[in-house]
Amino acid sequence: MNFFRRHLRFCALGFFMLFAVSALVQCRPEAEAAPDGAAAMTALESFEVVYGVLQHPRCMNCHPGGDRPLQHDDHQPHAMNVQRGPDDRGRFAMRCDACHGTGNLPGANMPPGVSTGWHLAPREMVFEGLSRHELAKMLMDPERSHMSSDELIEHVTSDPLVLWGWDPGDGREPVPTPHAEFAAAFRTWIAAGAPAPPEEEAQVR
Amino acid sequence: MTPAQLSRRLFLQGLAAGSLVVAVRVSGPCALALVDLETEAALPFEPDVFVSIAPDGWVAIVAHRSEMGTGIRTALPMIVADELGADWERVRIEQAIGDAEYGSQNTDGSRSVRRFYERMRIAGATARTMLERAAAARWGVDATDCAARNHEIVHKPTGRSVGFDELVTAAAALEAPAREELRMKPASERRYVGRDIPIVDLDAIVTGRAVFGTDARRKGQLYAVVARSPALGGRVRSVDAAKAKAITGVVDVIEIPPFKAPHAFQALGGVAVIAKSTWAALQGRRALVIEWEDGENARFDSTSYERALVQAARESGKTLRDEGDVDAAFSEAKDIFEADYYVPHLAHASMEPPCAVAEVTTESDGTVARCDVWAPTQNPQAAQTEVARTLGIQPANVTVNVTLLGGGFGRKSKPDFIAEAAYLARRLKRPVHVTWTREDDLQHDYYHAVAAVHMRAALDGAGRPQGWLQRSAFPPITSTFVRGARYGSAGEMGLGFTDLPYSVPNLRIENGPAEAHLRIGWLRSVAHIYHAFAVCSFPDELAHRAGRDPFEYLMELLGEPRFVGLEGVEYPNHGEPLARYPIDVGRLRHVTERAAELAGWGRALARGRGLGIACHRSFLSYAANVVEVEVGSDGAITIPRVHVVIDAGLVINPDRVRAQMEGATVFGASLALYGEITAENGRVQQSNFHNYRIARIYDAPREVNVEIVASEALPAGVGEVGVPPFAPALCNAIFAATGKRIRRLPIARHDLSS
Amino acid sequence: MIVLKINGKAHELADVDADTPLLWVLRDELGLTGTKYGCGMAQCGACTVHADGQAVRSCVKPVGDLVGKEITTIEGLSADGDHPVQRAWKKFGVPQCGYCQAGQIMSAAALIESVPVPTDDDIDAGMAGNLCRCGTYVRIRAAIHAAAQDARP
Repeated sequence: MNFFRRHLRFCALGFFMLFAVSALVQCRPEAEAAPDGAAAMTALESFEVVYGVLQHPRCMNCHPGGDRPLQHDDHQPHAMNVQRGPDDRGRFAMRCDACHGTGNLPGANMPPGVSTGWHLAPREMVFEGLSRHELAKMLMDPERSHMSSDELIEHVTSDPLVLWGWDPGDGREPVPTPHAEFAAAFRTWIAAGAPAPPEEEAQVR
Repeated sequence: MTPAQLSRRLFLQGLAAGSLVVAVRVSGPCALALVDLETEAALPFEPDVFVSIAPDGWVAIVAHRSEMGTGIRTALPMIVADELGADWERVRIEQAIGDAEYGSQNTDGSRSVRRFYERMRIAGATARTMLERAAAARWGVDATDCAARNHEIVHKPTGRSVGFDELVTAAAALEAPAREELRMKPASERRYVGRDIPIVDLDAIVTGRAVFGTDARRKGQLYAVVARSPALGGRVRSVDAAKAKAITGVVDVIEIPPFKAPHAFQALGGVAVIAKSTWAALQGRRALVIEWEDGENARFDSTSYERALVQAARESGKTLRDEGDVDAAFSEAKDIFEADYYVPHLAHASMEPPCAVAEVTTESDGTVARCDVWAPTQNPQAAQTEVARTLGIQPANVTVNVTLLGGGFGRKSKPDFIAEAAYLARRLKRPVHVTWTREDDLQHDYYHAVAAVHMRAALDGAGRPQGWLQRSAFPPITSTFVRGARYGSAGEMGLGFTDLPYSVPNLRIENGPAEAHLRIGWLRSVAHIYHAFAVCSFPDELAHRAGRDPFEYLMELLGEPRFVGLEGVEYPNHGEPLARYPIDVGRLRHVTERAAELAGWGRALARGRGLGIACHRSFLSYAANVVEVEVGSDGAITIPRVHVVIDAGLVINPDRVRAQMEGATVFGASLALYGEITAENGRVQQSNFHNYRIARIYDAPREVNVEIVASEALPAGVGEVGVPPFAPALCNAIFAATGKRIRRLPIARHDLSS
Repeated sequence: MIVLKINGKAHELADVDADTPLLWVLRDELGLTGTKYGCGMAQCGACTVHADGQAVRSCVKPVGDLVGKEITTIEGLSADGDHPVQRAWKKFGVPQCGYCQAGQIMSAAALIESVPVPTDDDIDAGMAGNLCRCGTYVRIRAAIHAAAQDARP
């Protein structure tokens, strides 16, 4: 299933990049900042790496579309009716750190933790259900991501909560893309002006 | 029977010298006895229940049944106090140790009140009569003019009164009255029975002072956890304990020998890690490297087992009840309708997992002299026997102290976990506290049996059943005690199946065979769960097939008020004669009608909502549920409201009866929505509450309205009675809301989205 | 050495590793057995205590993470069992077996502290981490509403 999906995605990616490159070349508003074709390819390829990581359950589950965190590889709503709360850290007697501590605990299905404390991304910083285009736009919109480009790079490179995705504790699949590769791709994409891939409704997700 | 016959040893603790002590013998003609503790009476018989009054007037009442949440530690003493005329504020409750001399202490089967109501009254009335006589002698008046009121004896003609405390010495010197001399209080004079009384442990519970089994502490005790074979009957092939022993706090690693089949109540066996704290023991167990040798149950696989079980229920089995000519009815039927129902294995999952502390005393030559245990047990006498057997000593040398139980639901009537503690305490020569983790509890339970029930009706032109065949197949509880047992006992079949109350001219009830591959035990309402699920779902299906209102159809199926005759049927009737506790269809009809009325049966409901009804007699009581359900377009289920009507005869503490009914709806919701234990290669796949889900607050009915039928009929069961009708009523409601019929539990397996 | 402040009193824990969950320290080292084990993985809430006023599951909280925090257990919630939640629990006869109730009470106390007038939905959100096998939820709900009322100045 995954194998099949990945291949589909790969083919789709090739098709969509051809389209994207031409779109970028034609539509880029500021001509002097427009990257050449090869650089644009790199930026979008890089973003594809970023997108794959951000859609991984270890990342997306805490960037849900609604007010409930998700869990497990199939993105189920978090058990126990856990809710976002006003500060993205749970509600009432069900705060994130009621269960999530400063590190992972041994054993499968134990609540994971990180040194800086467990919490959801801001309400607007949604990964769930976003297309490539939408996700890129959201990231670069400080109103939604709540971060500047530099802060974003800092976040993906060194925030313990992000790094947790590569060390998620017993019984959880880490993000398969190596973190260094992800961080480099993210930097490349930002450095290239963080181009948003065009709308891709017809694409296979 | 002669008076003043009483076993001294039962009063050794907690009683001041000079106390008035009354013992009630409950077998035979109920002779009564009185003894002053300072006299040394030789006593040939053993009493069951006791009331004593200290010189300061405090009344001590012995609670000999186990408290696991039903409120029995409050209810039975209420009966004594009421009959005695005591002031509840001056009553102290003492929990009995396990002792066969009390009669049965096996707190299950929803029978504490019905078995001990009369006996508690006798205890109270005996003490009261003696106090009345003591007061009469003091005043030189006729004892019949004296009566107990609020911890005093009052002389009715003059209004004079004297406190219990002042009468203790004089009363203690009197002979106990004979049973026929006792005058029981009329209902109109009851002060506690029938009133809402808070449970005696309420303050201790809300402040964290209540002592459960897990809280028992002995000086110098060690903590143990045990690794047990993942498949029932497996054995340790090899164990490498080096890493476990290297963990700070781990004291020892000891192998517990495997049980000898049948397992009954024996310790399962395995490898115990004993440490200075539970946490160290848990870490030690994690570090063990054990190679298991799987036994024959390792081939158990729930998926293939389910197919075979459903098939077994569809094939001709043992006939237990046969009326009319069922085969002819089916050959003449206008329409035949059949349905197969399935309820998986369930686990008890009491919030307090099994646990026990044992302390062994040895003689100078190292042989075991005695053993004291502290445990949350529903059955202290079975614990006494099993511990004695484990240690090779006499049961008389085992003292079982009963703590509060953090839930029982039938699990804690099996003392296997107490035997583990006893075995380890002997080996270590120190008190040992054995803790089961949640994983241990869910993977090594005495499971509620998985069951398939085949229902078949021969219908006439109006959709009414003229012939009825029902057959259940489940691994029987007997398999726990008799190796290879495959057929349900008359007891299990009598739990909501052979006692079918419907009025059908041609009827056959059968049982099919099923092998057990896990330990099978009883769980709150036992076989009623799967039997009621089928027996209360099927009429709803027939009603819809006939285009009839399910409530009206059900009432027609129940038929005229009558006692269901079961001539020729082996039917234990929960251990009571049918003459005392008949199967009274009139009472079943009444609770059903009331539930429908209270729920506003037939009212218009919003889209996605539905009402479902079910009624069921169990534990000699009658209960009906109307469940209102809301099914969202995403398939999410909420239960805004449930109406429960129960007729349990005379009720002692109505507030606790309501609490039991409220709780039963939640217990029912857990098993209906989520309950499923499965196994692969003999290994139970569920391990904790994340994959053995029980209802959370948002799953539970938001409103539970309980009506208790006012009754002076003989007291009947309460603790389990609310459970059986809930799941079928809920599934009937889901059908009403969605048109989707659930015949296989749990509901979570089904997609109800629209 | 780890020092924990529990119910207003400092406890020096000489032989306890920092990764030991608070639950077992309370129960096995300090004799505070009101806090209960139910699952060991933050699924049931029986072990709920307060850390700086917030409800936490002590079965998954290493003591090393709690140094410097004010820990309150059921034993320290009130002097005489007269916290509004405890009073309401008694008034409504909430407990059946009672085993989960310390955790329920601690969660409820934290809930009404953070939302003085909770709605049914707030209660569903705040109490969802506490399991009760006896099924006392209907009364828990009623008691929380009453406790909130009672706690208001």
